[in-house]
Amino acid sequence: MVRLSNVDAGYGASTVLMGLDFEARAGEVNLITGPAAAGKTTFTHLLRLALQPRCGRSVILGVDVIRARPRDIADAKRRIGYVAENPVFIEQWSTFDNVAMPLRMLGQRPREYEHDVRELVDFVGLGGAAELAVEKLSGAERRRAAIARALAAKPSLILADDPTAGMSPADGRRIVKLLSEMRRVGAGVVIASQDDTLADCAPMWVWRIDRGRLSQPEQTEAADAEAYE
Amino acid sequence: MRSGLLGVERALFWTLAFAAFAAASAGLAARAVDRVAVGYEQSRNAYAIVRVLAPDGPAGMAAAETALASAPHVTSAAPMTAGRAAALLSEASGEPIDPEHMPDLRLIEIELAPASPQADVAGDIVAALAAGGVTAEVIAAPDGASGGGLAPRVRNAAFWGAIVFAGMMAVIAWLAARGLAARRREMVTVMCDLGATRSQTAGRIADEAAVTGLYAGLAGGVLAVIAGVIVLLLAIPGTTLNTLTAMILPIDLVPVVAAPLGTAIAAGAGARAAAGHFHGQAARLG
Repeated sequence: MVRLSNVDAGYGASTVLMGLDFEARAGEVNLITGPAAAGKTTFTHLLRLALQPRCGRSVILGVDVIRARPRDIADAKRRIGYVAENPVFIEQWSTFDNVAMPLRMLGQRPREYEHDVRELVDFVGLGGAAELAVEKLSGAERRRAAIARALAAKPSLILADDPTAGMSPADGRRIVKLLSEMRRVGAGVVIASQDDTLADCAPMWVWRIDRGRLSQPEQTEAADAEAYE
Repeated sequence: MRSGLLGVERALFWTLAFAAFAAASAGLAARAVDRVAVGYEQSRNAYAIVRVLAPDGPAGMAAAETALASAPHVTSAAPMTAGRAAALLSEASGEPIDPEHMPDLRLIEIELAPASPQADVAGDIVAALAAGGVTAEVIAAPDGASGGGLAPRVRNAAFWGAIVFAGMMAVIAWLAARGLAARRREMVTVMCDLGATRSQTAGRIADEAAVTGLYAGLAGGVLAVIAGVIVLLLAIPGTTLNTLTAMILPIDLVPVVAAPLGTAIAAGAGARAAAGHFHGQAARLG
């Protein structure tokens, strides 16, 4: 699903990520954890195809990123559900309309997606705010809306950059569990967070990142157990 | 329409409407200049003066009148009286001229309807007069080669002036619509993140700008028509809406029809270019 081999990446003259080797498979959860400014957000940009690797090989959802045509990149992006650290919405649109956006872009009509989107909005706890303009949502509600939008098109790969920031520990864990549940439908999940205690929310691979370098992953016990199932 | 007039894009709407109004007004003005120039040219070509050189005396004038009655291209002929000549000279010089002081003119005013634009009108008339035993010369309006023919140049200047002005207005519409793309940047970012291609993102923003441009162009075109009608009613004494309706040709309305289309195209193209640029920025960090 995702395979990075000896990848460097950065912005302008600065190289943020160096020599990355990473692999994420379908039906697995990966937690990328590390201190602030370690390169977690840059790493998610790399996985969501917004940042071109400078060297190495990066294959995401079957697309060799360096060689791919823009259309292939766009096609792959449609199969990625991304929850940004500061999610961007169309502020004047309602929560419902924002969450439905990926489905509209796939050409679905309102009657085709209305039920699913309402269910999804309820699922993330925003049932009461479905018709509210996103600009009126609190920070935590915006993050939930972003999660709902990321899940709307049933993506193959789910990326979440610090999805629990600004939330209570209980809410944060609930969100991570919610995201982790997507592995059951075959999606690969990658969560970047400073909070390494999230590793016990669900079976997962835990990768530590520091100063742009990624360590070898550790499997949580639950993940080990599931791996033998 | 609602968002264009009342929503956040009011400024864009009225900028586009003003550009369309200015372009359509320039087009209508060019059409008016063209119509006046054509009328002027037609009236110039429909008039000439015959100077009778021989035979002398009233017999020569009478023979010339008889020959002109059956001459080609001539619809009417009348000797120029001293009073008429004095009036024309007074009009040209601004000085009062007494008809009694006018010499024997031996001039005949003729109205013409040339059989074809290429016809040698003066030559045909001189030949017809010669056949009637009259030696005469035809004093016609000067053509382009002899310092006349201003009307075609005026028509060209009006046409190309209007085209250049409309082009400038299109550039204003194009630039203004880029602002729409900037204000829709969050939508560009969202669409890009969700996997829209550059053309999908740019198309979405361009459609919105084009629709706004279409409505703004309609508003500008209608305002230009209203302004044009008011100007004509004030400029032509005795004109009514009924006579104006009869005067206006379908081709005169081309600028009004072109205004919404041109504004929509210019606005759509401007927004498309800017949205494509922003999409490129959002799609590739670093």
